[in-house]
Amino acid sequence: MALYPVALEGEIPVGTNIVVEIEGRSIGVYNVNGEYFAIHNYCPHQGAEICKGPVCGTNMESEVYQFIYGRDQEIVRCPWHGWEFDLKTGKSLFSDKVRVRSYPMQIQDGQLFITVGK
Amino acid sequence: MNQEEKLPVIDCDVHNGFRSNHDLFPYLDDTWKSQALLRGGGLPLGGGLPYASPIGNKRKDANPPSGLPVGADPDYMIKQLIEPFNVEYAILCSDSMIAVSSFADADYAAAMCRAYNDYLIAEWLPKSPTFKGLLCIATQDPIQAAREIDRIAPHPDIVGVSIIGGSRMPYGQRFFHPIYEACQRNDMPLVIHPGAEGSGIFNPPTAVGYVSNYLEWHSCLPQTYMAHLVSFVCEGVFEKYPDFKVVLSEGGVTWLPPLLWRLDKNFKALRASTPWLKRLPSEYVRDHCFMTTQPIEEPDNPKHLKMMFEMFDAENMLLFSSDYPHWDFDDPTKILKQFPLETKRKILSENARALFKL
Repeated sequence: MALYPVALEGEIPVGTNIVVEIEGRSIGVYNVNGEYFAIHNYCPHQGAEICKGPVCGTNMESEVYQFIYGRDQEIVRCPWHGWEFDLKTGKSLFSDKVRVRSYPMQIQDGQLFITVGK
Repeated sequence: MNQEEKLPVIDCDVHNGFRSNHDLFPYLDDTWKSQALLRGGGLPLGGGLPYASPIGNKRKDANPPSGLPVGADPDYMIKQLIEPFNVEYAILCSDSMIAVSSFADADYAAAMCRAYNDYLIAEWLPKSPTFKGLLCIATQDPIQAAREIDRIAPHPDIVGVSIIGGSRMPYGQRFFHPIYEACQRNDMPLVIHPGAEGSGIFNPPTAVGYVSNYLEWHSCLPQTYMAHLVSFVCEGVFEKYPDFKVVLSEGGVTWLPPLLWRLDKNFKALRASTPWLKRLPSEYVRDHCFMTTQPIEEPDNPKHLKMMFEMFDAENMLLFSSDYPHWDFDDPTKILKQFPLETKRKILSENARALFKL
Protein backbone atom coordinates (compact mmCIF):
# COMPACT_ATOMS: atom_id res chain seq x y z
CA MET A 1 0.00 0.00 0.00
CA ALA A 2 1.30 3.39 -0.94
CA LEU A 3 0.04 6.91 -0.37
CA TYR A 4 0.42 9.35 -3.22
CA PRO A 5 -0.05 13.08 -2.77
CA VAL A 6 -2.29 14.39 -5.54
CA ALA A 7 -3.35 17.93 -4.65
CA LEU A 8 -3.89 20.40 -1.87
CA GLU A 9 -7.34 20.88 -0.45
CA GLY A 10 -8.79 23.85 -2.25
CA GLU A 11 -7.11 22.99 -5.53
CA ILE A 12 -10.13 20.93 -6.56
CA PRO A 13 -13.23 23.11 -6.08
CA VAL A 14 -16.58 21.48 -5.34
CA GLY A 15 -18.06 19.91 -8.47
CA THR A 16 -14.73 19.61 -10.30
CA ASN A 17 -12.07 16.99 -10.71
CA ILE A 18 -8.48 16.52 -11.73
CA VAL A 19 -6.84 13.58 -13.47
CA VAL A 20 -3.47 12.37 -12.20
CA GLU A 21 -1.06 9.66 -13.29
CA ILE A 22 -0.03 7.21 -10.56
CA GLU A 23 2.04 4.09 -11.20
CA GLY A 24 1.16 4.39 -14.86
CA ARG A 25 -2.55 4.51 -14.05
CA SER A 26 -4.81 7.42 -14.90
CA ILE A 27 -6.95 8.32 -11.88
CA GLY A 28 -9.61 10.97 -11.49
CA VAL A 29 -10.01 12.80 -8.19
CA TYR A 30 -13.43 14.38 -7.64
CA ASN A 31 -14.68 16.87 -5.10
CA VAL A 32 -18.27 15.78 -4.46
CA ASN A 33 -19.90 18.43 -2.30
CA GLY A 34 -16.73 18.79 -0.18
CA GLU A 35 -15.82 15.08 -0.02
CA TYR A 36 -13.07 13.64 -2.20
CA PHE A 37 -13.29 10.44 -4.22
CA ALA A 38 -10.86 8.81 -6.64
CA ILE A 39 -11.74 6.49 -9.53
CA HIS A 40 -9.77 4.75 -12.24
CA ASN A 41 -10.11 6.72 -15.46
CA TYR A 42 -11.20 3.58 -17.28
CA CYS A 43 -14.76 2.47 -17.89
CA PRO A 44 -15.24 -1.28 -17.21
CA HIS A 45 -17.46 -1.53 -20.29
CA GLN A 46 -15.22 -0.68 -23.24
CA GLY A 47 -12.37 1.22 -21.63
CA ALA A 48 -13.37 4.81 -22.35
CA GLU A 49 -11.71 7.55 -20.31
CA ILE A 50 -14.57 7.91 -17.92
CA CYS A 51 -13.27 11.14 -16.40
CA LYS A 52 -14.11 12.88 -19.67
CA GLY A 53 -17.76 12.20 -18.90
CA PRO A 54 -20.11 14.67 -17.25
CA VAL A 55 -20.68 14.77 -13.50
CA CYS A 56 -24.40 14.89 -12.90
CA GLY A 57 -27.37 13.68 -10.90
CA THR A 58 -29.95 11.20 -12.06
CA ASN A 59 -33.46 9.90 -11.65
CA MET A 60 -33.39 7.86 -8.50
CA GLU A 61 -35.17 4.58 -7.90
CA SER A 62 -38.87 5.37 -7.77
CA GLU A 63 -42.40 4.12 -8.10
CA VAL A 64 -43.78 3.56 -11.61
CA TYR A 65 -44.27 6.84 -13.49
CA GLN A 66 -42.49 8.86 -10.79
CA PHE A 67 -39.40 10.87 -11.60
CA ILE A 68 -37.29 11.96 -8.65
CA TYR A 69 -34.11 13.77 -9.57
CA GLY A 70 -31.39 13.48 -6.98
CA ARG A 71 -27.78 12.70 -6.12
CA ASP A 72 -26.71 15.82 -7.94
CA GLN A 73 -22.95 15.87 -8.59
CA GLU A 74 -22.58 12.31 -7.28
CA ILE A 75 -22.78 10.50 -10.61
CA VAL A 76 -20.26 10.33 -13.41
CA ARG A 77 -21.64 9.31 -16.78
CA CYS A 78 -19.30 7.56 -19.21
CA PRO A 79 -18.67 9.83 -22.22
CA TRP A 80 -19.16 6.96 -24.67
CA HIS A 81 -22.28 4.98 -23.79
CA GLY A 82 -23.73 6.92 -20.92
CA TRP A 83 -23.39 4.30 -18.19
CA GLU A 84 -23.85 5.94 -14.79
CA PHE A 85 -21.42 5.32 -11.93
CA ASP A 86 -21.68 6.38 -8.31
CA LEU A 87 -18.59 8.49 -7.62
CA LYS A 88 -18.73 7.54 -3.94
CA THR A 89 -18.54 3.78 -4.49
CA GLY A 90 -17.60 3.24 -8.12
CA LYS A 91 -20.70 1.09 -8.61
CA SER A 92 -22.77 1.35 -11.76
CA LEU A 93 -26.39 2.24 -11.21
CA PHE A 94 -27.70 -0.84 -13.04
CA SER A 95 -25.67 -3.51 -11.23
CA ASP A 96 -23.63 -3.72 -8.06
CA LYS A 97 -21.31 -6.11 -9.85
CA VAL A 98 -20.32 -3.64 -12.52
CA ARG A 99 -18.08 -0.93 -11.15
CA VAL A 100 -15.29 1.44 -11.99
CA ARG A 101 -12.32 0.87 -9.72
CA SER A 102 -12.22 3.32 -6.84
CA TYR A 103 -9.35 4.26 -4.52
CA PRO A 104 -9.52 5.36 -0.89
CA MET A 105 -8.46 8.94 -0.13
CA GLN A 106 -6.95 10.54 2.91
CA ILE A 107 -6.43 14.15 3.93
CA GLN A 108 -3.42 15.03 6.09
CA ASP A 109 -2.64 18.63 6.94
CA GLY A 110 -4.52 19.94 3.93
CA GLN A 111 -2.87 17.49 1.53
CA LEU A 112 -4.95 14.97 -0.42
CA PHE A 113 -3.53 11.47 -0.80
CA ILE A 114 -4.69 8.49 -2.85
CA THR A 115 -4.09 4.99 -1.54
CA VAL A 116 -3.00 2.59 -4.26
CA GLY A 117 -2.30 -1.11 -3.74
CA LYS A 118 -3.01 -3.26 -0.72
CA MET B 1 -46.07 -46.37 -27.99
CA ASN B 2 -42.76 -45.00 -26.77
CA GLN B 3 -42.32 -43.08 -23.56
CA GLU B 4 -42.40 -39.70 -25.24
CA GLU B 5 -45.72 -40.27 -26.90
CA LYS B 6 -47.12 -40.92 -23.46
CA LEU B 7 -46.09 -37.54 -22.09
CA PRO B 8 -49.15 -35.57 -21.07
CA VAL B 9 -49.85 -32.49 -23.12
CA ILE B 10 -51.48 -29.23 -22.11
CA ASP B 11 -52.33 -27.53 -25.36
CA CYS B 12 -52.32 -23.79 -24.75
CA ASP B 13 -53.81 -22.68 -28.06
CA VAL B 14 -56.87 -24.54 -29.26
CA HIS B 15 -59.50 -22.80 -31.36
CA ASN B 16 -63.12 -23.51 -30.66
CA GLY B 17 -65.10 -22.37 -33.68
CA PHE B 18 -68.65 -21.10 -34.04
CA ARG B 19 -71.33 -23.29 -35.60
CA SER B 20 -72.88 -20.27 -37.27
CA ASN B 21 -72.76 -16.49 -37.30
CA HIS B 22 -75.70 -16.49 -34.94
CA ASP B 23 -74.23 -18.56 -32.11
CA LEU B 24 -74.03 -15.62 -29.73
CA PHE B 25 -77.58 -14.33 -30.30
CA PRO B 26 -79.05 -16.14 -27.28
CA TYR B 27 -76.43 -14.44 -25.12
CA LEU B 28 -76.82 -10.89 -26.43
CA ASP B 29 -79.31 -8.46 -25.00
CA ASP B 30 -81.70 -6.82 -27.46
CA THR B 31 -79.72 -3.63 -27.96
CA TRP B 32 -76.76 -5.52 -29.23
CA LYS B 33 -78.66 -8.34 -30.91
CA SER B 34 -80.17 -5.85 -33.35
CA GLN B 35 -76.72 -4.39 -33.95
CA ALA B 36 -75.30 -7.84 -34.57
CA LEU B 37 -78.10 -8.62 -37.01
CA LEU B 38 -77.32 -5.49 -38.99
CA ARG B 39 -73.73 -6.64 -39.14
CA GLY B 40 -74.59 -10.05 -40.59
CA GLY B 41 -74.15 -11.82 -37.28
CA GLY B 42 -71.70 -9.34 -35.92
CA LEU B 43 -68.78 -11.67 -35.42
CA PRO B 44 -65.34 -10.55 -36.52
CA LEU B 45 -65.12 -13.45 -38.97
CA GLY B 46 -61.65 -13.91 -40.40
CA GLY B 47 -60.56 -11.43 -37.78
CA GLY B 48 -61.55 -8.61 -40.13
CA LEU B 49 -58.07 -9.09 -41.48
CA PRO B 50 -57.11 -7.30 -44.71
CA TYR B 51 -55.35 -10.50 -45.81
CA ALA B 52 -56.53 -14.00 -46.62
CA SER B 53 -54.35 -17.07 -46.59
CA PRO B 54 -54.38 -18.65 -50.07
CA ILE B 55 -54.57 -22.06 -48.45
CA GLY B 56 -57.20 -21.08 -45.88
CA ASN B 57 -56.46 -20.87 -42.19
CA LYS B 58 -57.83 -24.31 -41.27
CA ARG B 59 -56.43 -27.80 -41.60
CA LYS B 60 -57.96 -29.59 -44.55
CA ASP B 61 -58.44 -32.83 -42.66
CA ALA B 62 -60.39 -31.36 -39.77
CA ASN B 63 -63.95 -31.24 -41.12
CA PRO B 64 -66.17 -32.95 -38.54
CA PRO B 65 -68.30 -35.82 -39.90
CA SER B 66 -71.25 -34.07 -38.24
CA GLY B 67 -71.11 -31.45 -40.98
CA LEU B 68 -70.37 -28.69 -38.51
CA PRO B 69 -67.67 -26.18 -39.46
CA VAL B 70 -64.04 -26.98 -38.69
CA GLY B 71 -63.38 -26.55 -34.98
CA ALA B 72 -67.06 -26.20 -34.09
CA ASP B 73 -67.75 -29.80 -33.06
CA PRO B 74 -66.44 -30.57 -29.56
CA ASP B 75 -66.85 -34.33 -30.03
CA TYR B 76 -64.67 -34.31 -33.12
CA MET B 77 -62.12 -32.08 -31.41
CA ILE B 78 -61.88 -34.71 -28.70
CA LYS B 79 -61.49 -37.47 -31.28
CA GLN B 80 -58.99 -35.68 -33.51
CA LEU B 81 -56.91 -33.75 -30.97
CA ILE B 82 -57.53 -34.65 -27.35
CA GLU B 83 -57.40 -38.44 -27.53
CA PRO B 84 -54.64 -39.17 -30.04
CA PHE B 85 -52.21 -36.58 -28.65
CA ASN B 86 -52.75 -37.38 -24.99
CA VAL B 87 -54.06 -33.89 -24.29
CA GLU B 88 -54.74 -33.52 -20.60
CA TYR B 89 -56.14 -30.02 -20.99
CA ALA B 90 -57.00 -27.96 -24.05
CA ILE B 91 -57.06 -24.21 -23.46
CA LEU B 92 -59.83 -22.86 -25.66
CA CYS B 93 -59.01 -19.48 -27.17
CA SER B 94 -62.06 -18.89 -29.43
CA ASP B 95 -61.55 -18.63 -33.13
CA SER B 96 -61.88 -14.96 -33.87
CA MET B 97 -63.59 -13.39 -30.88
CA ILE B 98 -60.69 -11.29 -29.66
CA ALA B 99 -60.63 -9.48 -33.03
CA VAL B 100 -63.61 -7.42 -31.76
CA SER B 101 -60.96 -5.15 -30.29
CA SER B 102 -60.49 -3.87 -33.85
CA PHE B 103 -64.07 -2.52 -33.96
CA ALA B 104 -64.63 1.20 -33.49
CA ASP B 105 -67.56 0.78 -31.10
CA ALA B 106 -66.18 -0.04 -27.67
CA ASP B 107 -69.57 -0.89 -26.17
CA TYR B 108 -70.52 -3.23 -29.00
CA ALA B 109 -67.16 -5.00 -28.70
CA ALA B 110 -67.58 -5.35 -24.94
CA ALA B 111 -71.13 -6.72 -25.38
CA MET B 112 -69.94 -9.30 -27.89
CA CYS B 113 -67.23 -10.43 -25.47
CA ARG B 114 -69.74 -10.76 -22.64
CA ALA B 115 -71.94 -12.87 -24.89
CA TYR B 116 -69.01 -15.00 -26.00
CA ASN B 117 -67.87 -15.63 -22.43
CA ASP B 118 -71.36 -16.76 -21.40
CA TYR B 119 -71.53 -18.96 -24.53
CA LEU B 120 -68.10 -20.45 -23.79
CA ILE B 121 -69.16 -21.37 -20.27
CA ALA B 122 -72.55 -22.72 -21.35
CA GLU B 123 -71.73 -24.52 -24.58
CA TRP B 124 -68.06 -25.54 -24.55
CA LEU B 125 -66.58 -25.95 -21.10
CA PRO B 126 -69.12 -28.56 -19.92
CA LYS B 127 -68.42 -30.77 -22.97
CA SER B 128 -65.20 -32.25 -21.64
CA PRO B 129 -63.18 -32.12 -18.41
CA THR B 130 -60.17 -31.46 -20.64
CA PHE B 131 -61.62 -28.13 -21.81
CA LYS B 132 -60.46 -24.99 -20.03
CA GLY B 133 -61.28 -21.53 -21.32
CA LEU B 134 -59.77 -18.12 -21.79
CA LEU B 135 -62.25 -15.34 -21.23
CA CYS B 136 -62.17 -12.76 -24.01
CA ILE B 137 -62.11 -9.02 -23.48
CA ALA B 138 -62.16 -6.03 -25.79
CA THR B 139 -59.34 -3.54 -25.29
CA GLN B 140 -61.12 -0.35 -26.38
CA ASP B 141 -62.40 0.31 -22.86
CA PRO B 142 -60.09 -1.17 -20.22
CA ILE B 143 -62.43 -0.29 -17.33
CA GLN B 144 -65.24 -2.27 -18.89
CA ALA B 145 -62.81 -5.07 -19.70
CA ALA B 146 -61.70 -5.19 -16.07
CA ARG B 147 -65.33 -5.53 -14.98
CA GLU B 148 -65.75 -8.46 -17.36
CA ILE B 149 -62.66 -10.13 -15.92
CA ASP B 150 -64.13 -9.74 -12.43
CA ARG B 151 -67.42 -11.21 -13.64
CA ILE B 152 -66.07 -14.27 -15.47
CA ALA B 153 -62.74 -15.16 -13.84
CA PRO B 154 -64.26 -16.89 -10.77
CA HIS B 155 -65.64 -19.68 -12.99
CA PRO B 156 -63.58 -22.78 -12.16
CA ASP B 157 -62.90 -23.69 -15.79
CA ILE B 158 -61.74 -20.21 -16.80
CA VAL B 159 -57.96 -20.07 -16.56
CA GLY B 160 -56.87 -16.85 -18.27
CA VAL B 161 -57.74 -13.69 -20.15
CA SER B 162 -57.33 -13.38 -23.90
CA ILE B 163 -56.67 -10.28 -25.97
CA ILE B 164 -55.43 -9.83 -29.51
CA GLY B 165 -51.99 -8.57 -30.58
CA GLY B 166 -53.38 -5.84 -32.84
CA SER B 167 -53.61 -2.54 -31.02
CA ARG B 168 -53.77 1.22 -31.24
CA MET B 169 -50.85 1.60 -28.85
CA PRO B 170 -48.21 -0.48 -27.10
CA TYR B 171 -49.67 -2.62 -24.34
CA GLY B 172 -47.46 -1.43 -21.53
CA GLN B 173 -48.99 2.04 -21.59
CA ARG B 174 -51.08 3.20 -18.64
CA PHE B 175 -54.31 3.25 -20.64
CA PHE B 176 -54.40 -0.56 -20.36
CA HIS B 177 -53.39 -0.89 -16.71
CA PRO B 178 -56.91 -1.51 -15.37
CA ILE B 179 -56.87 -4.77 -17.36
CA TYR B 180 -53.63 -5.89 -15.73
CA GLU B 181 -54.83 -4.89 -12.30
CA ALA B 182 -57.93 -7.05 -12.84
CA CYS B 183 -55.80 -9.95 -14.10
CA GLN B 184 -53.66 -9.76 -10.99
CA ARG B 185 -56.69 -9.37 -8.72
CA ASN B 186 -58.20 -12.52 -10.21
CA ASP B 187 -54.95 -14.44 -10.54
CA MET B 188 -55.39 -14.77 -14.31
CA PRO B 189 -52.54 -14.72 -16.82
CA LEU B 190 -53.06 -12.50 -19.85
CA VAL B 191 -52.73 -14.37 -23.14
CA ILE B 192 -52.00 -12.26 -26.20
CA HIS B 193 -52.91 -13.99 -29.45
CA PRO B 194 -52.44 -12.67 -32.99
CA GLY B 195 -55.10 -12.54 -35.66
CA ALA B 196 -56.25 -9.06 -36.57
CA GLU B 197 -53.07 -7.01 -36.70
CA GLY B 198 -53.73 -4.21 -39.18
CA SER B 199 -57.50 -4.52 -39.27
CA GLY B 200 -60.16 -2.03 -38.19
CA ILE B 201 -58.96 0.64 -35.81
CA PHE B 202 -55.61 -1.07 -35.22
CA ASN B 203 -52.29 0.28 -36.35
CA PRO B 204 -50.66 -1.28 -39.43
CA PRO B 205 -49.29 -4.77 -38.86
CA THR B 206 -45.66 -3.75 -39.36
CA ALA B 207 -43.67 -0.68 -38.41
CA VAL B 208 -43.36 0.28 -42.09
CA GLY B 209 -47.03 -0.18 -42.86
CA TYR B 210 -49.13 -2.74 -44.68
CA VAL B 211 -47.28 -5.64 -46.24
CA SER B 212 -48.92 -7.10 -49.35
CA ASN B 213 -49.99 -10.58 -48.41
CA TYR B 214 -50.66 -13.12 -45.69
CA LEU B 215 -47.19 -14.67 -46.02
CA GLU B 216 -45.55 -11.37 -45.15
CA TRP B 217 -48.15 -10.49 -42.52
CA HIS B 218 -47.75 -13.79 -40.71
CA SER B 219 -43.95 -13.68 -40.84
CA CYS B 220 -43.85 -10.17 -39.37
CA LEU B 221 -46.09 -10.91 -36.36
CA PRO B 222 -43.09 -10.86 -34.00
CA GLN B 223 -42.74 -7.11 -34.68
CA THR B 224 -45.99 -6.50 -32.86
CA TYR B 225 -44.96 -8.72 -29.96
CA MET B 226 -41.55 -7.10 -29.65
CA ALA B 227 -43.12 -3.68 -29.27
CA HIS B 228 -45.68 -4.90 -26.73
CA LEU B 229 -43.06 -6.77 -24.71
CA VAL B 230 -40.60 -3.88 -24.53
CA SER B 231 -43.50 -1.65 -23.56
CA PHE B 232 -44.71 -3.97 -20.79
CA VAL B 233 -41.27 -4.02 -19.21
CA CYS B 234 -40.29 -0.38 -19.63
CA GLU B 235 -43.62 1.07 -18.54
CA GLY B 236 -43.14 -0.76 -15.25
CA VAL B 237 -46.17 -3.03 -15.57
CA PHE B 238 -44.34 -5.83 -13.75
CA GLU B 239 -43.21 -3.50 -10.96
CA LYS B 240 -46.72 -2.15 -10.56
CA TYR B 241 -48.35 -5.61 -10.75
CA PRO B 242 -45.76 -8.00 -9.36
CA ASP B 243 -47.95 -11.12 -9.70
CA PHE B 244 -49.08 -10.36 -13.25
CA LYS B 245 -48.09 -12.86 -15.97
CA VAL B 246 -48.22 -12.53 -19.75
CA VAL B 247 -48.28 -15.25 -22.40
CA LEU B 248 -47.21 -14.31 -25.93
CA SER B 249 -49.11 -16.82 -28.01
CA GLU B 250 -48.35 -17.84 -31.59
CA GLY B 251 -45.85 -15.08 -32.21
CA GLY B 252 -42.67 -17.10 -32.60
CA VAL B 253 -40.00 -17.80 -30.05
CA THR B 254 -36.47 -17.34 -31.34
CA TRP B 255 -36.63 -13.56 -31.72
CA LEU B 256 -36.64 -13.20 -27.94
CA PRO B 257 -32.96 -13.55 -26.93
CA PRO B 258 -31.54 -10.93 -29.34
CA LEU B 259 -34.28 -8.47 -28.39
CA LEU B 260 -33.47 -8.89 -24.70
CA TRP B 261 -29.75 -8.46 -25.32
CA ARG B 262 -30.54 -5.22 -27.06
CA LEU B 263 -32.93 -4.05 -24.36
CA ASP B 264 -30.53 -4.85 -21.51
CA LYS B 265 -27.69 -3.10 -23.28
CA ASN B 266 -29.72 0.03 -23.83
CA PHE B 267 -31.02 -0.03 -20.27
CA LYS B 268 -27.47 0.18 -18.92
CA ALA B 269 -27.11 3.58 -20.53
CA LEU B 270 -30.68 4.80 -20.40
CA ARG B 271 -32.00 3.52 -17.09
CA ALA B 272 -32.84 7.05 -15.96
CA SER B 273 -35.78 6.92 -18.44
CA THR B 274 -37.29 4.11 -16.37
CA PRO B 275 -36.03 4.64 -12.81
CA TRP B 276 -38.76 2.33 -11.50
CA LEU B 277 -37.02 -0.72 -12.98
CA LYS B 278 -35.01 -2.37 -10.24
CA ARG B 279 -33.56 -5.17 -12.33
CA LEU B 280 -32.39 -5.69 -15.89
CA PRO B 281 -35.30 -5.79 -18.35
CA SER B 282 -34.54 -9.40 -19.29
CA GLU B 283 -35.04 -10.45 -15.67
CA TYR B 284 -38.61 -9.14 -15.68
CA VAL B 285 -39.29 -11.02 -18.90
CA ARG B 286 -37.90 -14.24 -17.48
CA ASP B 287 -40.09 -13.96 -14.37
CA HIS B 288 -43.32 -12.67 -15.88
CA CYS B 289 -43.54 -13.82 -19.50
CA PHE B 290 -44.25 -17.05 -21.33
CA MET B 291 -44.40 -17.93 -25.01
CA THR B 292 -46.37 -20.64 -26.75
CA THR B 293 -44.37 -22.83 -29.07
CA GLN B 294 -46.45 -22.95 -32.23
CA PRO B 295 -45.53 -22.19 -34.98
CA ILE B 296 -42.11 -23.31 -33.85
CA GLU B 297 -39.27 -22.05 -36.04
CA GLU B 298 -37.70 -24.74 -38.21
CA PRO B 299 -34.11 -23.87 -39.10
CA ASP B 300 -32.42 -26.03 -41.76
CA ASN B 301 -30.10 -27.31 -39.07
CA PRO B 302 -32.23 -28.48 -36.11
CA LYS B 303 -29.30 -27.89 -33.77
CA HIS B 304 -29.75 -24.19 -34.31
CA LEU B 305 -33.14 -24.31 -32.63
CA LYS B 306 -31.54 -26.00 -29.66
CA MET B 307 -28.91 -23.27 -29.55
CA MET B 308 -31.58 -20.58 -29.55
CA PHE B 309 -33.35 -22.33 -26.67
CA GLU B 310 -30.08 -22.16 -24.70
CA MET B 311 -30.02 -18.38 -25.10
CA PHE B 312 -33.02 -17.82 -22.82
CA ASP B 313 -34.88 -19.71 -20.12
CA ALA B 314 -36.76 -21.71 -22.75
CA GLU B 315 -37.48 -24.75 -20.62
CA ASN B 316 -39.33 -22.63 -18.07
CA MET B 317 -40.84 -20.00 -20.37
CA LEU B 318 -42.28 -22.11 -23.19
CA LEU B 319 -45.77 -23.59 -23.26
CA PHE B 320 -46.74 -26.13 -25.86
CA SER B 321 -49.48 -25.17 -28.28
CA SER B 322 -50.84 -26.89 -31.37
CA ASP B 323 -53.14 -24.15 -32.75
CA TYR B 324 -55.63 -26.88 -33.68
CA PRO B 325 -57.43 -26.81 -36.08
CA HIS B 326 -55.49 -24.14 -37.91
CA TRP B 327 -53.27 -24.72 -40.95
CA ASP B 328 -49.98 -24.30 -39.09
CA PHE B 329 -50.71 -26.99 -36.46
CA ASP B 330 -47.70 -28.37 -34.54
CA ASP B 331 -47.59 -32.01 -33.42
CA PRO B 332 -46.41 -32.36 -29.78
CA THR B 333 -44.60 -35.61 -30.56
CA LYS B 334 -42.59 -34.04 -33.40
CA ILE B 335 -41.49 -30.52 -32.56
CA LEU B 336 -39.24 -31.11 -29.53
CA LYS B 337 -37.44 -34.24 -30.68
CA GLN B 338 -33.92 -32.99 -30.03
CA PHE B 339 -34.62 -31.98 -26.42
CA PRO B 340 -34.12 -34.01 -23.22
CA LEU B 341 -37.16 -35.70 -21.70
CA GLU B 342 -37.36 -33.32 -18.72
CA THR B 343 -37.31 -30.27 -20.97
CA LYS B 344 -40.09 -31.81 -23.05
CA ARG B 345 -42.13 -32.60 -19.99
CA LYS B 346 -41.92 -28.99 -18.80
CA ILE B 347 -42.76 -27.47 -22.16
CA LEU B 348 -45.50 -29.97 -22.99
CA SER B 349 -47.35 -29.69 -19.71
CA GLU B 350 -45.64 -28.72 -16.47
CA ASN B 351 -45.08 -25.04 -17.21
CA ALA B 352 -48.70 -24.60 -18.24
CA ARG B 353 -49.94 -26.62 -15.27
CA ALA B 354 -48.17 -24.25 -12.89
CA LEU B 355 -49.11 -21.08 -14.75
CA PHE B 356 -52.79 -21.89 -15.20
CA LYS B 357 -53.01 -23.76 -11.87
CA LEU B 358 -54.37 -26.90 -13.48
